[in-house]
Amino acid sequence: MSKDLIEKKPLLQVIDLKQYFVLKKEAMFQTKQVVKAVDGINFDLYPGETLSIVGESGCGKSTTGRSILRLDEPTEGDVLFKGQSLPKMSKRELRNVRGNIQVIFQDPYASLNPRRTIRQMLDEAMAIQKVLPPNKREARMLELMQHVGLRPEYLERYPHEFSGGQRQRIGIARALAVNPEIIICDEAVSALDVSIRAQILNLLKKLQKEFDLTFLFISHDLSVVRHISDRVMVMYLGKVVEISDKSSLFDKPLHPYTKALLSAIPVTDQTKRGERIILKGDVPSPLSPPVGCRFHTRCPFATDLCRQKEPVLVELEKNHSVACHFAKELSS
Amino acid sequence: MMNEIVLEVKNLKTHFISNKGTAKAVDGIDFVLRKGETLGIVGESGCGKSMTSLSILRLIPSPPGKFVDGEVLLNGKDLVKMSNEELRKIRGNQISMIFQEPMTSLNPVIPVGEQIAEALRLHQGLSRKQAWDKSVEMIRLVGIPSPEKRAKQEPFQLSGGMRQRIMIAMALACTPEVLIADEPTTALDVTIQAQILEIMKDLQRKIGMGIIFITHDLGVVAEMCDQVGVMYAGQIVEHRDAKDIFNNPLHPYTQGLIGSLPKLYEDQEELQIIEGTVPSPYDYPEGCRFAERCPFSTDICVQKEPSLIQYGDNAKVRCWKYTNEWQDSLAKEVLKS
Ligand SMILES: Nc1ncnc2c1ncn2[C@@H]1O[C@H](COP(=O)(O)OP(=O)(O)OP(=O)(O)O)[C@@H](O)[C@H]1O
Ligand SMILES: Nc1ncnc2c1ncn2[C@@H]1O[C@H](COP(=O)(O)OP(=O)(O)OP(=O)(O)O)[C@@H](O)[C@H]1O
Ligand code: SF4
Ligand SMILES: [Mg+2]
Ligand SMILES: [Mg+2]
Repeated sequence: MSKDLIEKKPLLQVIDLKQYFVLKKEAMFQTKQVVKAVDGINFDLYPGETLSIVGESGCGKSTTGRSILRLDEPTEGDVLFKGQSLPKMSKRELRNVRGNIQVIFQDPYASLNPRRTIRQMLDEAMAIQKVLPPNKREARMLELMQHVGLRPEYLERYPHEFSGGQRQRIGIARALAVNPEIIICDEAVSALDVSIRAQILNLLKKLQKEFDLTFLFISHDLSVVRHISDRVMVMYLGKVVEISDKSSLFDKPLHPYTKALLSAIPVTDQTKRGERIILKGDVPSPLSPPVGCRFHTRCPFATDLCRQKEPVLVELEKNHSVACHFAKELSS
Repeated sequence: MMNEIVLEVKNLKTHFISNKGTAKAVDGIDFVLRKGETLGIVGESGCGKSMTSLSILRLIPSPPGKFVDGEVLLNGKDLVKMSNEELRKIRGNQISMIFQEPMTSLNPVIPVGEQIAEALRLHQGLSRKQAWDKSVEMIRLVGIPSPEKRAKQEPFQLSGGMRQRIMIAMALACTPEVLIADEPTTALDVTIQAQILEIMKDLQRKIGMGIIFITHDLGVVAEMCDQVGVMYAGQIVEHRDAKDIFNNPLHPYTQGLIGSLPKLYEDQEELQIIEGTVPSPYDYPEGCRFAERCPFSTDICVQKEPSLIQYGDNAKVRCWKYTNEWQDSLAKEVLKS
């Protein structure tokens, strides 16, 4: 956490959040099957920071974002936005708060209304959240289009007339349109070429400086994560296994999973690549997570202790917490 | 045997025609793909990569899309001239495609395992039971745990990366001769990505599958591809051996692209970008389509369209800088000033 963040009060607090999905039974006497997509996670989000979430596909990143906003109703736990509990709010109160917390969804195609032109979509978003009077909206729309590198005449087009990356940028423009305080960016730049991606990342950083915007940034692209984040949180099978200042995490990852993850980054310069740690063993399923440490089935250092007892998240170094029985031994 | 040509695309053009005008989304694409080879395609968002691949499979919605010109030769036979019946047998069988946005091509209300099994029954004539077992096996292969259970789930119950892997499983199920993979690993973390790339390479070694790999991830290009085509505004602007392009990009657009990469090992306040925006596909300029944004552009660039020329033994580039006319144009500019 950068120095000045610690003194600030958190803008968003996620407290022991759980999100379980119960699956349809296939046979009458079968026991209930539960996907523990998010299984008791805690973190704070400070104003003006970028916290990234990384982790294996299916570990619960998108679900975390969705349950914060109650797009899926959380099973347990609390989420405080400026001290107010989102899960306890009425639908109406929640609608007001949603203007402050925007999401850029992972799947732009599924999240854009196919029957609305981009103009209608942006206009509607601004109208619902009452951010600008109608006569000022046109100028704002043109500005947004320019920000995300789309031509102004594209305002009259429908979502299916765009390429994947163009659609993703429409999602970004829509999120920015209502001047939110927090943006949850779920793989928000993954479909963009590196130049446009750079342009969007620069824009996000600039807006962050100007308006103290806060980002919860979900991404698989670790070079992007490294560039944009202040802090990084690593998830594994519904749990947080490591959370840290960016530099500390990239320079000195403590969890064996994080180490494997960082070693697998593809690089353009094939001579610069280090030893790749290939994880062996069974990839566990959230339908039946392993007992003890959830990573033990694939961890090269696992012992009996790991197979029996679940490690808790402890702050091993300043602002660097990890959930691994042997993190200390392994780091020295 | 490995260097037999399996797919050849000649002067492919697909336009979108509406009351707003004609958008030249794919505007004269040429390439060859050999057996066992991977051709990477990179380029600016909206430059026509997905439309090129959809055109190859003749999956462009028409209208508004219109196939304007070109040939697509699969083992010498032109797909353009084939009947719909013949094409259906080829799609998903000899050529298959991993679509960029899984939700656009998965049926939202059918369990994912069922969708893979259906393709297997259709193309490989497997029985219901065999097809289901193979489908579960494919889901296991792409690294999704509890495949028997996952196979029975509907797309919305899966994570983004799982849906993408379902698409991959479906595309690989019938061991195609040509695989067109449109951003197949964008939703995958690096460890699973590495695993998926390995599966593709493995199939490639076994059956000599040719792969067209569309991606924004230049690291993946470096690891996966033999050749790279860089696209800009509906055309290929540079065609290279993958090993050469990073150290010595020729086209100014490629140079800009590589310059925009965030550096993994150093901190940068601001990332380098390519200033300006792509020209509208409804209204391309007369000269070089990159001229407006190009740091090197001169008179000739604005006046005349460059063609894709051979440069050295292994490179092709569409840029005046690498021609004799360039020197003349520079000389004229000097005279003027
Ligand atoms: N139905 C349509 N009508 C008009 N234009 C269209 C239509 N569909 C696509 N286009 C245009 O065709 C061009 C090429 O789109 P394509 O999807 O091939 O881009 P792409 O290179 O795959 O981009 P990305 O990297 O963002 O996926 C884009 O400019 C897009 O706006
Ligand atoms: N509506 C749902 N019904 C049942 N299971 C669900 C539902 N939504 C998500 N899940 C399950 O929750 C788990 C976590 O999914 P989530 O989408 O959060 O993963 P993710 O970390 O975002 O992965 P990715 O990187 O692949 O996008 C997965 O096992 C997924 O199948
Ligand atoms: S032809 Fe001219 S404008 Fe186009 S890329 Fe080359 S130098 Fe730049
Ligand atoms: Mg996700
Ligand atoms: Mg595309």
